Amino acid sequence: MNKELTYWLTLAHVPKIQTKKKNEIIVRLFEKSKSIIDFFEFEQAVWGNDYELSQSEIVLFEEARNELSTYAFMVEDLLEQGYSIIPITSQDYSPTLKKNLGRTYAPPVIYTKGNLQIMKEKSIAIVGSRKANDISLEFTDNVAKNASKDYKVVVSGFAKGVDKQALDSAIKYKGQSIIVLPQGIATFQSGFKKYYKQIIDGDVLVLSTFYPKAPWSVQLAMARNPIIYGLTSEIYVAESSEKGGTWSGVMDGLRKGRTIYVRKPNSREKNANNILISKGGIAVDIEGNLINYEITEKNKSIVSEPDSNNIEEKIIDFLKAGVFPAKKIVDTLKIDWSSKKVSDFLKNRKDILTVKGKPLKFTHKDRSIQIQKSLFD
Amino acid sequence: MNRQEAEIRLKNTFGFDHFYDKQWETIDLLFKGKRVLLIEKTGFGKSLCFQFPATQFSGLTIVFSPLIALMRDQVNGLNRKGIKAKFINSEQTPEENSQTIKEAISGKLKILYIAPERQENQEWIEATRKMNLSMIVIDEAHTISIWGHDFRPAFRRIINLVKLLPQNLPVLATTATATKRVQEDIEKQISGNIQTIRGELIRENFRLYVLKVKSEDEKLLWLAENLPLLEGNGIIYTGTRVNTEIYSRWFEFLNIKTTEYNAGLDSDSRKEIENGLMNNKWKAVISTNALGMGIDKSDIRFIVHTQIPASPIHYYQEIGRAGRDGKPTKLILFYNSTKDENGIEEDVKLPQAFIDGGRPSIKNYNKVINVLKQEQLGELQIIKATNLKSTQIKVIKSDLIEQGIIKKVNNKYEYQYNAPLLNTKAFDELREQKLKELSSMIDYVNLKSSRMKFLCDYLGDGSHYAYTNCDNTNLSPFAITINDATKQELSNFRESYFPTLQTAPKTTKTIDGKKYYITLDSENKLIFGQEGEKEDHFENLEIFKTKVAKLPSEKQQQFFTLINNHLSKEKILNGVASSYYGVSSVGAALHRSKYENGGDFPDFLLKLTLKAFRKKYGQEHFDFIVYVPPTESGDLVKNFAEKLSQVLKVPISHKLIKIGVTQAQKVFKNAYLKKDNVAQKFTYSEPREILGKSVILFDDIYDSGATIKEIGNVLTKFGVTKIAPLVIARTVGGDI
Repeated sequence: MNKELTYWLTLAHVPKIQTKKKNEIIVRLFEKSKSIIDFFEFEQAVWGNDYELSQSEIVLFEEARNELSTYAFMVEDLLEQGYSIIPITSQDYSPTLKKNLGRTYAPPVIYTKGNLQIMKEKSIAIVGSRKANDISLEFTDNVAKNASKDYKVVVSGFAKGVDKQALDSAIKYKGQSIIVLPQGIATFQSGFKKYYKQIIDGDVLVLSTFYPKAPWSVQLAMARNPIIYGLTSEIYVAESSEKGGTWSGVMDGLRKGRTIYVRKPNSREKNANNILISKGGIAVDIEGNLINYEITEKNKSIVSEPDSNNIEEKIIDFLKAGVFPAKKIVDTLKIDWSSKKVSDFLKNRKDILTVKGKPLKFTHKDRSIQIQKSLFD
Repeated sequence: MNRQEAEIRLKNTFGFDHFYDKQWETIDLLFKGKRVLLIEKTGFGKSLCFQFPATQFSGLTIVFSPLIALMRDQVNGLNRKGIKAKFINSEQTPEENSQTIKEAISGKLKILYIAPERQENQEWIEATRKMNLSMIVIDEAHTISIWGHDFRPAFRRIINLVKLLPQNLPVLATTATATKRVQEDIEKQISGNIQTIRGELIRENFRLYVLKVKSEDEKLLWLAENLPLLEGNGIIYTGTRVNTEIYSRWFEFLNIKTTEYNAGLDSDSRKEIENGLMNNKWKAVISTNALGMGIDKSDIRFIVHTQIPASPIHYYQEIGRAGRDGKPTKLILFYNSTKDENGIEEDVKLPQAFIDGGRPSIKNYNKVINVLKQEQLGELQIIKATNLKSTQIKVIKSDLIEQGIIKKVNNKYEYQYNAPLLNTKAFDELREQKLKELSSMIDYVNLKSSRMKFLCDYLGDGSHYAYTNCDNTNLSPFAITINDATKQELSNFRESYFPTLQTAPKTTKTIDGKKYYITLDSENKLIFGQEGEKEDHFENLEIFKTKVAKLPSEKQQQFFTLINNHLSKEKILNGVASSYYGVSSVGAALHRSKYENGGDFPDFLLKLTLKAFRKKYGQEHFDFIVYVPPTESGDLVKNFAEKLSQVLKVPISHKLIKIGVTQAQKVFKNAYLKKDNVAQKFTYSEPREILGKSVILFDDIYDSGATIKEIGNVLTKFGVTKIAPLVIARTVGGDI
């Protein structure tokens, strides 16, 4: 039994304090080799001086401190019911989530039920409308099938339409899935009943980042989208209209520089997929395969630099859209360079940032990404 | 707060001048936010060690206690002192418990007593989020250790909770009985720098005796002659529930005022007996060990055990409640040392059977695991899916939860992803430990030296005293010399005591928010009662009706509905058996005939059964005798019924027949499946013949009662007006 969990829950659910602030406290504790228990035992002065809490924040944390013992009851109950409570410092915490969301957005605690190992696997997300058409559902099925074949986990949001199809298909093709809940984990009883077998067989992980007893709400459904994006390295959009959850999720992802694959719709379809492609989404066909890069070039002028026939420029251009390892660059751009050649080229460029880790990743300095402290790397 | 200040406040609130040193030591640590394990004998004043600090803290103190009686007593005591305390437990209605929770949230309470099982209740868990907690107390803390006696699975969650509590929240665990091993186990489990304070365990006023006897009868006989001679009032602990019944019928027969108490009684009856015990209403209460822990009576003058407890700790714990006033108190332990053909002493058998039977087979564990791998199931669904006894399922469930293989979520049980394999080694170790403890209990019986010293040493109290006051030191032993008149009494009793079969229907109806019921008592007189209140017995329905007719008219209507509902139910009386299956030669005789080709049931059974019949039904007229058609034992029942028919001069009918295949009821291990097995399997081939008639319904053995009740239903539908069940033997907890 991890006796820190009470303190983690208390920290995670201190009201009115931004995630970023909470993560900064965690990073600071990490740097000073202090535990979260220590933090809640500090005098207010230490909170103010060493952890840069404002007077109003100190008031909020003081209230939280008084709630520690009652959070203990909740933690005991959650553990008793088989939920895992995973702090951001835990080995079990999704490395992808931590990397993608960084200290600004990565939730300090996640709640799960099922096979934790799933979070360590390569993963894709398929998103789209609740009222998607048959072509979109077929696309979803194809993408989920390929992912399952490649041992990639399918992440979805447990809404109707595309989400449901993604989950069902992953199960059908004996793949693994993460269900990201738009609600607290303790309010998902019917779902746990329905996916009981898949959960105990280790094929489905249910995950929530919200207060465990929080019921479903529109706000939480919206807040869940960045978590889905954060949990994956590849995002596929089956169908989006020009507003709503999928739309705002994709736009948010593009703004944050994520690579997002969008199904190229046929001319008779009425949806906003083409607009998303024009805003930087990468067009894919009904099988989820990239449509020849040259074709998408035509649309690129709307958002990006002028066309470039030069491979070097093409790479640099590509890196303005996200953080990628050399192999990914080669594969996506279909260039005939080796990964090593790409790496060597990029390491010597002053306008390119190298992100540590295996494999090395690269991105363009223009992308205002957070340079992360060790805890978040 | 220093001791002087504390004692001034103590005087104001509790009326005492001083703390004992060890009390203050404990309280001082709690004030400093520490965790303390306090091991002190009964009567030391352990409760004050948390009650006093609780009155000084700003928030709420939660006391987890497994003892409902103790909660009630302590809460009453605190309220008398003007301290706001309440309890939450299964004795109260959900509304009362909700009200208490509300008061706890609003900060009106200082102390809240609660049963550990409540930790499974979502309303409670939700409510705790809103409480301002100051301290947690675990009473009877030996129950949190698997090595302690009376281990309570529900406490597992309390330990988990304590581990998760913030480090500076004071926690007090108290117990009167913990061996070194249990102490270390509690320390380990509660962790967080717990400090242990241990007191001395000697009880100088205890007079300890062991009485070795040569038969079960000698116990009954000795008590018949000596119980009235023992000073004051006390408790007689019998090893089993059925023995509480037999002993108390025996004393009733002898006109010695006693009553029986066991966990099978409803909470109101239990409360009434506990109150009666307080007021010395009976010479003795005959009880399983369900009674006593937590009874706040200072002058229990004697405790007799008719069976040895499972270990010296159990014994110390059970006798611990006696003589709290410090006056001389007798503790008498019977032991039947007769050896059977295998050389095993009779009184080892029961505790040995509890150890052997306490743990279901590994096969049954796997059965439960396998059904839960398929789907989430509730307890009843598991029972049905596995055909295991519900008592076994309870043990299996709690072991599987303990080992992290399954979890309980919203009253359903779930297998866990990545669950560990069943660890059977843990079971073996526990069994070894229990056998060792039982063997120490036998050592106590055969001891030649000071008994109190033996108990104190066993419990890890290293003090050196001149321990006396037992039949091995300065007291003269009791002797077993029984006069013939008493023996004759016992034989008369045996031939006049016949167990009742609870077969009559019970009809309930809620009127003005109160639950009323109609049923029959053991003499088949009408009982009308209100749940939890006094009940009235009426000679017949007509007399009751005239009483109802005097009520205001709208109420009248409601009660008549209740009566009509009752009249539409099966017309079955409470039946009678000539004996219990296991406690006399009756069971053995039945077994020989049924399963060892021993021929017809012997004549002594006929004599005994006729006696039982006459005692129960007297001169009542019956039109027919019918018998339960057999599943596997041929014509035994039919032949016996024919003999009954001849003697009683009641015509026999062979027309009660089976219309479906049933399996022997003993195949089914729980009541649900037994009921399913016999449902719609019987009919009467010529219904017109029995319209308006009264019948005797005969069978050889009564177990769950499902067959008798099913047939009762069928016959009632055909218009039978009265059904009187009669059997040779009634089983005790499925002992065939």
